[in-house]
Amino acid sequence: MENAIKKAKQCYLCLNNINDLDYKDTQLLRRFINSYGKILSKKRTGVCTTHQRKLALAVKRARIMALLPFTGK
Amino acid sequence: MSKVKSSAIPHYEILYIVANKYSEDEAKLIEKKINKVLIDRGGKITFNQAWGKKRLIYPIKSFTYGYYFLAEFDLAGSLLAQVDKDLRMMSDVLRHQIVVKKIKTAERIAKDKKIADKIAARGLKEEKTIEDQKKVKEETKEKIKTEVNLKELDEKLDKILETSDLL
Repeated sequence: MENAIKKAKQCYLCLNNINDLDYKDTQLLRRFINSYGKILSKKRTGVCTTHQRKLALAVKRARIMALLPFTGK
Repeated sequence: MSKVKSSAIPHYEILYIVANKYSEDEAKLIEKKINKVLIDRGGKITFNQAWGKKRLIYPIKSFTYGYYFLAEFDLAGSLLAQVDKDLRMMSDVLRHQIVVKKIKTAERIAKDKKIADKIAARGLKEEKTIEDQKKVKEETKEKIKTEVNLKELDEKLDKILETSDLL
């Protein structure tokens, strides 16, 4: 029954010590947007508040430079 | 954060897109032109990189492809607005973005490396524990099987003995 107890979600960016989010690293950012290009909530992804703020800024910067979509599909 | 501004010259990073209507060589000329603008305004270029032709995620001014160029430079903060304006006036540049770039100190790099090593070690540990758990599970399964086999054997032996008595 050990597997039945859900583990608490941990911030992916904290775990991997990614403090300076680069807006050019679209492969990483794509983990945190859905297929429509919307930024996913931290409730969904388990990212901490500090990183969510940095993440949102990075995604928005990437959108301006046509590296990520404003809207998809 | 301290309210006193540091006197060090800030470090910036610029990414810009050149329209696809130019050939690669022409785009390189435009890159040189922009580098010249940066230097003329008192900047000092430290890094240059061409990403080459890339597909734009959405069309800009009906261009679907563009040449991306990346550069890093030092420039006094008060002069940045003028550079921004210059670039906006250029019709060759579809879009540009200037961002403050933090320079990592040697101390910071060492610290990051330490943490990265720790993370790697943690990953190895987790793998080991998972493997151990699997091994333990398999062993217990085998134990149960052998026990069952022994019981069955006993029963069979008893039956055979009983029948032999009858004879």
